[in-house]
Amino acid sequence: MPHWQIALVIMIVYLVVCLLVGIFAGRGRDSSSLDEFAVAGRGLGLLVMWFLMGGAVFSAFSFLGAPGWAYSRGAPALYIITYTAFAILPWYIIGPKIGKIGKKNNLYTVSAFLKGRFNSPWLAIVVGMIALLASIQYLATQMSGMAIIFNIMTEGRMPIWLGALISYGIVVVYVATGGLRAAAWSDVFQGLLMIIVSWVVGLSIVYQLHGGTSDMFTTIARETPEFLQIGKDGSTMSPMAFTTIILVSVIGFLMWPHLFSKSYASNAKIIKKTVLAYPIFALFLVPLLLVGYAAVGVVDSGELSSPDQVLPYLITTVMNLPGWVYGLVGAGALAAAMSSADAITHSASLEVTDGVVKNVKKNLTDKQTLLIMRLGVFVIGGLAYYITVFGGQGLVALLLGAYGAIVQFAPGVYSALYWRRATSKGVLSGLIIGTILNFYYQLVADSVPFDIHAGIIGLLANVFVMITVSLLTKPQEAEQVSKYVDVA
Amino acid sequence: MKKRKFISLYVVVTMIPFLLLIFPLFELVNRPTPIILGLPFSFFWVILWIFITFVALIVLYFIDPDKNEEGDF
Repeated sequence: MPHWQIALVIMIVYLVVCLLVGIFAGRGRDSSSLDEFAVAGRGLGLLVMWFLMGGAVFSAFSFLGAPGWAYSRGAPALYIITYTAFAILPWYIIGPKIGKIGKKNNLYTVSAFLKGRFNSPWLAIVVGMIALLASIQYLATQMSGMAIIFNIMTEGRMPIWLGALISYGIVVVYVATGGLRAAAWSDVFQGLLMIIVSWVVGLSIVYQLHGGTSDMFTTIARETPEFLQIGKDGSTMSPMAFTTIILVSVIGFLMWPHLFSKSYASNAKIIKKTVLAYPIFALFLVPLLLVGYAAVGVVDSGELSSPDQVLPYLITTVMNLPGWVYGLVGAGALAAAMSSADAITHSASLEVTDGVVKNVKKNLTDKQTLLIMRLGVFVIGGLAYYITVFGGQGLVALLLGAYGAIVQFAPGVYSALYWRRATSKGVLSGLIIGTILNFYYQLVADSVPFDIHAGIIGLLANVFVMITVSLLTKPQEAEQVSKYVDVA
Repeated sequence: MKKRKFISLYVVVTMIPFLLLIFPLFELVNRPTPIILGLPFSFFWVILWIFITFVALIVLYFIDPDKNEEGDF
């Protein structure tokens, strides 16, 4: 059997297992319960929670983008492990507090969380819309990751449109039927698979090509030392750009609705333990960076249509690996993409329902809300699919584009938790200004002042506007504020 | 330990390694050599501090006054 057929069989077996795990996870639970669908009855355990949060980070970006960064940019790729290790840490403090507020006020989303404190339907609508757009962009990156993997591992026989349709179609089915619990259990399976694959395959590539990491790095350090530095002559990134991309990723991370809303899905103790074990997830990414460095001097960049393809290219073209390795790497990459896509699809649907639909059409029953959330999964899936198949950019640019807008939730969220004097007008105007500036510097302007990340420029303006407007407007009633700020 | 004090301690302890991994302090280790444990020096530095952070978090958890709180769930 030729390599690509073996690979195809393994990937299809993997997809079938995913579907089964996703569907069986939700069995025996109350399928008509809104609480079960949205936050798994607020009772997820440690192992599941850890993989749920970790799986969301181990995405198509880490599996394809991280080797791509290491290969094409060198040292700046370190930003990926730094931000992964640190971005979760604030959750230890804010997660339990958000969880308690959510339990008391029956919340599932970021938009409802902000609306609960600031009492402003407009704020919820804006947050819901930004969450939707950012999620669709994020999903499109995951989906094109899945499609590219299918395509390369079958040596071009699986067209992009079909690969995306099959792999994402499965995600949509198990999320719509089993809700958060289905996403969580498939993340455990997918997480284990991709960790094993990245270590085994990553290290064997390095050893086969270079005989070990020391020899590999000694060669790079001798020939192009600036490639392993930041901000030197010939380096690919300035210190300011490196630092602000870490900052924007660290601040923005927990603002992603699919991560934020996990505060509602468990208790304080589980949240804290999840944070404790989390920096280890960052270290799991190390072999993926090593793969990228291993390709330096081996793969000619002219042979790749994008640096993101360096890992699959090494496996299929440079090294003569057996077909089952194709299949395993394919399955690992699909796992990485799917474990992010399921959580994001799920939460995007919740955000739109809570933030937009409920504020436009009031007085929905729980049953109607649940139905809208389930249908939302299909609609969002369809939109993301359309964008993936009919319009594409580089994986990393897309992800960072979406990130910039999400990070603008941070001033509002932290004020809701800790700042009594914040007002709805302050938070809303900060959010709008920050989002506009971010988009301007990211998509319109030719250059950014001092090489600062566009998201950070937006954030600075956001905080300034929020504080100024809050102080100029009427303070909130103390009772309303106390429902959030004084929760211990 | 009071909860407020613990939060301040938590913030300080986690900020130290973080600041060591971004500029300006990262400039101190912004070089490829010496190669330690098979990794360029800056790469090794990042992994070292992530590991230290992991250990520090475990210690913090044990002195957390609220660690056994299940919440009212």
